[in-house]
Amino acid sequence: MVALLLALQLRTITIDQRLAADAHVGVGDTAMVSASPGSGGDSVVIAGIIGRRADPSEIARSDYRVHLHLDQLQRLIGYGDRVDRFAIATHGDPAADSAVRTINDAAFGFRAYRSRDIAVETSETFAVVSRFHRAIGVITIVASAVFLLCILLLKIDERRRDVAALRLLGISRRSVMLTVVLEAALVSVIGSGVGVVIGWVTSAAVNWHYQARYQTPLRFALVTGDIVLFAVTLSLVLGVVAGALAARRLVRTHPLVLLGR
Amino acid sequence: MSVLVRARDVRRDYRLEREAVHALRGVSLEIEKGEYLAIVGPSGCGKSSLLNLLGAIDAPTSGSIEIEGRNVGTLGDREVTEFRLRHIGFVFQRFYLLPILTARENVELPMAEAGVSAAQRRERSSELLRYVDLADRVKHRPAQLSGGEQQRVAIARALANRPSLLLADEPTGELDARTGQEIISLFSRLNADGTTVVVVTHDEGLARAARRVVHMRDGEIVHDEVPGG
Amino acid sequence: MRLVLALASLRRNGARTILAVLGVAIAAAMLLDMVMLSTGMRESFRQLLLSRGFQMRLTPRGTMPFDTEASIAAASNVTAQLRARPEVDLVSPVLGASVHVLRGDSSITTFALGVDPQAQGDYQLAEGRDATEPNALIANDDFLRATNAKVGDTLHVAAGFDPQLRTHSGERALVVAGRAKFLYLATRQLAVAIPLRTLQQMTGAAREDRVSLFMVRLRDSKKVADVTKWIRTALPTIDVISTADAMARVDERLGYFRQLSAILGAVSLVVGFLLVTTLVTVSVNERVGEIVVMRAIGVSRVHVVQQIVLEGTALSVTGAVLGTGLGLITARYLNTILSRFPGLPAAIDFFLFQPRAAWTAIGLLTACGVLAGLYPAWRAASLPLAGTLREEAVA
Repeated sequence: MVALLLALQLRTITIDQRLAADAHVGVGDTAMVSASPGSGGDSVVIAGIIGRRADPSEIARSDYRVHLHLDQLQRLIGYGDRVDRFAIATHGDPAADSAVRTINDAAFGFRAYRSRDIAVETSETFAVVSRFHRAIGVITIVASAVFLLCILLLKIDERRRDVAALRLLGISRRSVMLTVVLEAALVSVIGSGVGVVIGWVTSAAVNWHYQARYQTPLRFALVTGDIVLFAVTLSLVLGVVAGALAARRLVRTHPLVLLGR
Repeated sequence: MSVLVRARDVRRDYRLEREAVHALRGVSLEIEKGEYLAIVGPSGCGKSSLLNLLGAIDAPTSGSIEIEGRNVGTLGDREVTEFRLRHIGFVFQRFYLLPILTARENVELPMAEAGVSAAQRRERSSELLRYVDLADRVKHRPAQLSGGEQQRVAIARALANRPSLLLADEPTGELDARTGQEIISLFSRLNADGTTVVVVTHDEGLARAARRVVHMRDGEIVHDEVPGG
Repeated sequence: MRLVLALASLRRNGARTILAVLGVAIAAAMLLDMVMLSTGMRESFRQLLLSRGFQMRLTPRGTMPFDTEASIAAASNVTAQLRARPEVDLVSPVLGASVHVLRGDSSITTFALGVDPQAQGDYQLAEGRDATEPNALIANDDFLRATNAKVGDTLHVAAGFDPQLRTHSGERALVVAGRAKFLYLATRQLAVAIPLRTLQQMTGAAREDRVSLFMVRLRDSKKVADVTKWIRTALPTIDVISTADAMARVDERLGYFRQLSAILGAVSLVVGFLLVTTLVTVSVNERVGEIVVMRAIGVSRVHVVQQIVLEGTALSVTGAVLGTGLGLITARYLNTILSRFPGLPAAIDFFLFQPRAAWTAIGLLTACGVLAGLYPAWRAASLPLAGTLREEAVA
């Protein structure tokens, strides 16, 4: 079919997934492309459909992407023999640095940049969102720390009669403290383990939802080894601190006072 | 004198894991207005269980308990709670004052529940605390009171709504002999002033102060006597 | 008396209560921020769009304002047609372009708006006079800082630049007539406003009698649909974007933040609920004896529950009120991060404080406090009296 159309000398284009879905077109369909609505243009054949890249800057963008042959687009929009940019692949980083220097020394009317420098400048959206997430993350960690401390202190305080009984039996303060701290640490580790599982399931759900919503392969939430280690370590530290604080208060109080006498 | 409390063939069974415990095995008892009754017996004889039934804190497994002509065993939770509030005063072995309230506030608590105005509550609580010789301790919290003082506040609280029946479960159980004697005297004074008093006790002194003693064993009344009468 | 009891119970263990209140306050702050985030940017954008009363924006077909270099041809004819409509109160034509301020061998590129000063709705004059003269220029603070210029200075401005020949075209000497705050521009964006005719002349034949956008103010907002219908028939190469349309498109762009706010808000509520439930449960467990005694002396079950629920509620309300203050501080901080969103007008607040948001957060947490105390309270108030008294005596 494409060969037949080529024989009719229709040029080919590729379109993105969203445009294909929204306009209900597919490979092999013909279309008209023009520089402005209602004006004359070229009949073309859709030769392929391109998936979205995992590019944060494309999220929520509602514009469609169409790829034409360069000369056809130049002619359609009256651009002449002009382009907006060249993308250049080099043999490795040193070659890229050298190429940038050479081009800029000789350039007349244009400049060369490393791709990563451009990426930094054009990914401001992503940078803003990233900073926002980090701020929310910090607030969440602080909040979680306070919650964890609060709940552990409450639960340990509930054990005051047990502590009183142990002390009356002759168990030393040190042993009692160690027991309570160990218990708090265990609760923290088990709790954070459960939390990691919940976090992993939640991040999977978040990715599934947003990938479908924005039609992107980009992963929005990642649970990495570092994050797990950080969460478990922080929980453990907080649990031990809470346990120690609460236990210290309990062992310093006379057992009979703990029993309410 | 008229009958205030009438218990007929009262049974109370508890289920503990696989076995049934028969705390009361068909107890019948009448208490007249103005009586001062002591219920005595060895541990586990059912005397506290009987007191709980008389105080409408518990309901019998079978039989009936009438207080002021009302069968309290058949009342719903709301009605029996209201009945306890207005007709029965209960004194516990361990006082059970609210530690976060002052002596006055503890005494006022049942009156607040009964809808008595703040001014009237204040007046009555002052009167009651004077009666139990604690006029100078009204603002003290239980932690600042001795055991005897706490029990006196508890008695004042039990009398707040002018109950027709005052019940006390081992009121001297947590007190030393001297303080216990003060409480015994107080109960005697209360009864002399017209309050119907029923106490459960191991304390011989308290039992002697009563004008009628009911002996229990194994969930039954084995002996009912008026000492010296 | 119940309130006295509830507050006394909370005071009994001050450190524990303070920590719990702090926890609830943090949950409340987070919840308030999320409620503000979910409604704030939308409301802020709506307020911005309507700040000068223009209910409609007209753009080249298929584009959003200044999204592309597309423009509307025969602008003067379109303006005349619009002004002839009885529903139309004011028409503001706007042309957008990049211009270059020449300084010796270098130049500073800035965004320029060609406007009709009598009808413009893009800036608020802060100093000087408006651009009523053909060679007048209005600038924002960022532009004046970047060019080191002030009101009264003459600048050489060019509209075109050939990068190959490194020459400028469409050059004019313009006088800085005034300083203004531009309503729709992003943070730190350099901007100037020049009379429309002047900018069209500077940009040459490509922009002759063309504009990027019309802003239209109607006498009666209810006529938006009617006027839209007429424009679609009479001017088919033009798209009409009402305030509602614009907000719908912004909603789509920023929908992610609304969803995030819903999720984090829900999490905050759940955590606040858990915290209060735990505190009330522990507190009730410690006081089973007291609670049973209260029941024994005649306090009804309902009143016991009320007293315990009051404790949870007092905790939640106190935490919520404190959290409101904390939330406003964190919202300010988060807003400064999000205000750097590229392409978004600097005037947009992501976290717009509305009293309704505060009441929603406080109300939700108070409801949580009530619910959190209900179950442990009912459980404690329903314990069998005789059995529990016996257990307490043994304990």
